[in-house]
Formats: sequence, structure tokens, C-alpha cells
Amino acid sequence: MATDDRTAGPARRSNRSGPVVAITRWMENLGETGFAYLLLTPVVVLLGAIALYPLLRTFELSLYQNVLSDPEFVGLENYVQLFTGNADARMPGTTTFLPEVTTSGSFPYVHVEGLLRSALAVTIIFTVVSVFFETIIGFGQALVLDREFRGRRWVRAAIIIPWAIPIVIQGMIFYLMFHPDTGFLTEYLASWGLVAETNTLNDPASSLLIVTVADIWKTTAFMALLILAGLQSIDRSLYDVAEVAGASKWQQFKLITFPLVLPALGIAILFRTIDAMRVYGLIDSVSGCTTVPSLSCMVVETFNTNRGLASAIAFVTAGIIAIAVMGVIYQQYKEGL
Amino acid sequence: MATANEPPTQSSDDENKGPLERWTHGVLTDPAKRDRLYRALFYVACGFFLVTTLFPFYWLLVLALTPNTQILAGDWEVTVPLVGAEVPFPTPQGFNVYAFVEVFQQVPFHLYVFNSFVLASVTTVIVIALASLAGYVFGRLEFPGRGLMMLAVLAVSYFPPAAFLIPLFDAFLGNAIVVPFLGIELFAPPRLVNTPGSMIMPFSALFLPLAIFILTTFYGQIPDGLEDAARVEGTTRLGALFRVIMPLSAPGVATAAVLTFIAVYNEYFFSSIMALQNEPNQWSPLVGGILSYQTQYTTDFNLMAAASIVGVLPMLILVVVAQEKIVSGLTDGALKE
Repeated sequence: MATDDRTAGPARRSNRSGPVVAITRWMENLGETGFAYLLLTPVVVLLGAIALYPLLRTFELSLYQNVLSDPEFVGLENYVQLFTGNADARMPGTTTFLPEVTTSGSFPYVHVEGLLRSALAVTIIFTVVSVFFETIIGFGQALVLDREFRGRRWVRAAIIIPWAIPIVIQGMIFYLMFHPDTGFLTEYLASWGLVAETNTLNDPASSLLIVTVADIWKTTAFMALLILAGLQSIDRSLYDVAEVAGASKWQQFKLITFPLVLPALGIAILFRTIDAMRVYGLIDSVSGCTTVPSLSCMVVETFNTNRGLASAIAFVTAGIIAIAVMGVIYQQYKEGL
Repeated sequence: MATANEPPTQSSDDENKGPLERWTHGVLTDPAKRDRLYRALFYVACGFFLVTTLFPFYWLLVLALTPNTQILAGDWEVTVPLVGAEVPFPTPQGFNVYAFVEVFQQVPFHLYVFNSFVLASVTTVIVIALASLAGYVFGRLEFPGRGLMMLAVLAVSYFPPAAFLIPLFDAFLGNAIVVPFLGIELFAPPRLVNTPGSMIMPFSALFLPLAIFILTTFYGQIPDGLEDAARVEGTTRLGALFRVIMPLSAPGVATAAVLTFIAVYNEYFFSSIMALQNEPNQWSPLVGGILSYQTQYTTDFNLMAAASIVGVLPMLILVVVAQEKIVSGLTDGALKE
């Protein structure tokens, strides 16, 4: 670790003076702990201002009336409103994911039906389906990239490229692919009953499918790279031993590759799950947030009008993701950080 | 499964079996045939991944080169048979390179891209500077609370931007900062919406943790002796960080910088919300440029595609040039935290 020799530096400059020298000397003479916290100050200030303060303030706002000016403290009323929405869970293909905000409740509360459940359903379906397929396809890509072959560099670049493109352009690609005036796949997929024949991008179930496929296309590369790192850390001599012992390729995969790559796979799935649950931009640019509102969509769409409710949804979203974050932290903790 | 190394001597049996059965039998018993099968499977998988990742880009190119009237006609001339039906396969119906000029005439697209570059560059500089301090502390110093601080940084990066949005938006509109739960108004910040500040601050906080973890790994690997030598020569502690440790960790710094730049260039959430009007002179980045085609010039499909290609190009070049850095950064950042 860093040196404790604190005299060498400032000793030569001791004949100079001025504020810079004074500050430098003060820093040189700090203990290791003090110096560490001093250097961390800018990071702590930034994260505190941009993350911690807003998170606490969001929670506070969620405890106030759902009005914009001079809201009164109402406790957990906004959460009660959210969770008791007595409409059925709006599943894809039945009716719509749209929140039905009716004003049947007494002012200043609006009675919200099915709002949270609908967004929750969208977010969870999107997350589970996309992470599932990303894992499988990503594993396949990692197995391909794990082999030595000519042009491997280029294949890897091609696989990474979707990961590196802006979300808005990813959205644009799939928007154009299913727009009624330009899309070429709609008719075929509709014949299989996968998407709606007309108004595809205004149909909640179709849009959810398209957005999920778009996400799989873009982020599988991330999964593949993490799994590949796991594959390449496996000791190759294990395979030689297995070969001598007469294990088939399938047995080698089942008994060596899979168990040894499992920790990396677990981390990759957790990362992707956390990331997928934040989905907003992709939905906004493919079909618009009113067609398939995810949890983040709800916050963005409502925060200018329903301050208290939007804050409550934001905090619920953070809470749900926090559960997955605990998983990551537990994993890190187990490995002794 | 079959055992390996069994010589294929059953030729007499083979004659009274069908070709498929003979082939499966051969694969099961003959290692050479099995290797050929694995190689075939490998090429099929490789080809599949290349086609699926690259086809959307081909689709953009086709749309950009085809004049808009032809796109609206929807005749792609070529069809390919896909399970059950003939599916139109898009091929360029013309060679309208002029679309790439028109992109910049219709809206000042270059200004949006310029804004994105400025935002990404400034954020990258800030992130590298702050992450260097934190990386030095986490990688080279021992102090109480080190593990806890790292976990806190990690946790912050996973929360959804939606959970930070409402208070941040308030603050960037110029409303007073209120201490949560105490109701004390601290001060009224300057109005930052429509300025780079309202995007650079959230970007920096969002992408700081990944850079910190990459740099922690790299800075931690520099031998103590080099730092001690610099200190004996009369360098201050910070001087040793910026003049010895950082240059020696140049690959790590480059990795963190490339990943931060890509992340900011691709960001959607704050880019679309904090620039209120999608106006390039109000610092709306690439997101605003692409969305303005989607919302204002709703039928110029060839221009949407051409704009997307222009927007993707910088990332394409970056992936090809800095592929190794991206791969190592993503895997280090995630797996070795």
C-alpha cells in the first residue's frame, strides 16, 4: 500500500510559502484514512447530490398529496391507492396495458385502477423473457467465440456492435421494421398470430413482443462477453483429463464447462435483470410509453401531473430493483470483495 | 452417449440400415465424423449469429438508399421462403445517396451529434478524474469503511434513473433544494434544464461506478515500489497518482474512458427529458435529433434510416478500433469488482 514516508515530498519545498503549498503540506501530512476520505469527497458529494438526495426526496414526496402545489402529508395513501387498484392484471392480448385513471375518488385523490399492476406486469414479463433468451443466445455466442478460428476478431466485433449503438437508434430500427408503411415482417408474423396485423405499434401485446426482441438483439452481446470471460478462465487441462478418461463432448460440457461457468453466469443474469427492469428509452422510441408503459414509463409520463403517485411508483420501482441489488451485493460479499 | 475411440468396423451392419441411421451411427462411433458434425454445427451457429446481429443494419442501409416513394410502395421485389409463406426480403430499390445529405438539411442533425460529442467528452473527463481519485483510494489505500464505501457506490449505480428523476427535475428547473423530511429550504440552484449541466451531472453520477471499479483494478496492480520511488523524488501524493500511477495504467484509463463515452452517447433517459424542446441550440443531443424525425417528419422514412446510420457510425468505428478495451472493460467491471 501507499508509502508512509511523508517527509520526503514537502521537505524540499519548505522554503516556499503560499496557499497552494500550505494545502499541499496539509494533504501530505494527513493520515492514510484522512487522505482516503479526502480523495473520496468529490465522489461522495456527486453521488449524494445526484442519487442519494433525490432518492430520499422521492420517498418524501410519495408521502404527500397527489397535487402539484402545497401538498399535505397523507402518509401511505398514495401507496394504498396504487396497490388496491382493483382492476384485473392487464395481461398482454386481453385488453390494454394502459392505466385507467378515473376521477371516481374524492378530490384531491384520484382513484387509479390497475395502474401499478399493469406496469408491473409489463416490466416483469419484459425482464424475464428478455433475460431468459439473452442467457441462452449469449451462451451460444460465448461458445462460438471461445473457439480459435480465423476471423474471430471480426465475428466478435459484429456481435458486440448491437450493444454499442444508441438506444434511440435501436428503437428506430425496430420502429421502422414494424411501421405499417415500411415494415416487411408484420404480415408474416401476423399469420402466426404473433403480432397484430394492423396498428402493430399501437397494440400493447405486439409492442411488448417487439420491444423484447429488440432488447434481446441489443444486449445479448453483454451476456455473451461475461459468459465468455467465465469460459476462458476455465483451466484447459481439465478437458485433456476428461478426454483421456473417455468423456464425450456433451459430458465435458455438463461436468466441466457448465458448473465452472455458473458463477459468471449468475452475475451476468443479475446485472441484466437489474438493467432490464429499468427499461424506458426503448419502449418510448419504439411504440411510445402510452402503449406499453413500464414502471419507469409510468414515472416519466405522470410526474408532471401526479406528483405524489409518480413518486410512489418511482420508489416502488427502486424497491423492486433493490431486491436484485441485494443479490449482487450478497454475491460480492461472499467473494470477499 | 457413445464411448470414444471405438473403431468403425460395423460396415456389414451398416448396409441394411437407412442413410440417416447409418449417419447417426457413424457420428456416435467415429470421432472423425463427430468432429465434422461439431464443425458444421459451429459454422451454422456462427452464421446465424452474424446474420441476426447484422441484418438490422442492412435493413437501415436498404431504407436509406431507397427513395421514399419506393419505400411507401412497399415492393421489395425479392421474397424468401420462410416456414409456411413467402416473406418479402428488403433489397435497395435505387441508390439514393442524396438521403445522407438531406439528413443534415431537413434538421441540423450535425448539431445534435456535436452536442452528443460534447456531452460525452466532458462527462468522460469528469468521470475519469473523479474515478481516478476513488480508484486510487480503493485500489491502494487501507482504511476503515473501505468495503462499505465500495458497496455504497455499487448500490447507487443500480437504482433506476426514474427514482432520481422527480427531485432532480425540480432542482434543475431552479426550485429550491429541500432537506428531505425536515422541510428546510437550503438554496435555489440555477435553472439548468436545456443546458449541458442538467445532463452532465446525472451522466457522471450514473457512469462513475463502472469507471471506479475498472480503475480500482488497474491502479491496485501498480507495484508500491514505483509510487515510493516517485515520492522519494519529491512528488506529492496526488502528483504520484497523476504523473506515475495514471500513466502506467494507461490501458485501464483508456478502457474506462471508452466505456463512459459509449454509455453517454447511447444514453436515453436524461438525454430525452432534460432537453425540454428537442432543439439543438438548447443542447438536445442525438436522441433529440432522431426523435425529431419520428415526431415531425413522420413520413420521411429514408431520412430516419439515414440519420440512424450517421448516428451509429461513430460507435461502429469505436467498436472496431477499441474492441479489446470494450471486452476487457465490460468483463473486468462486472466480474472482478
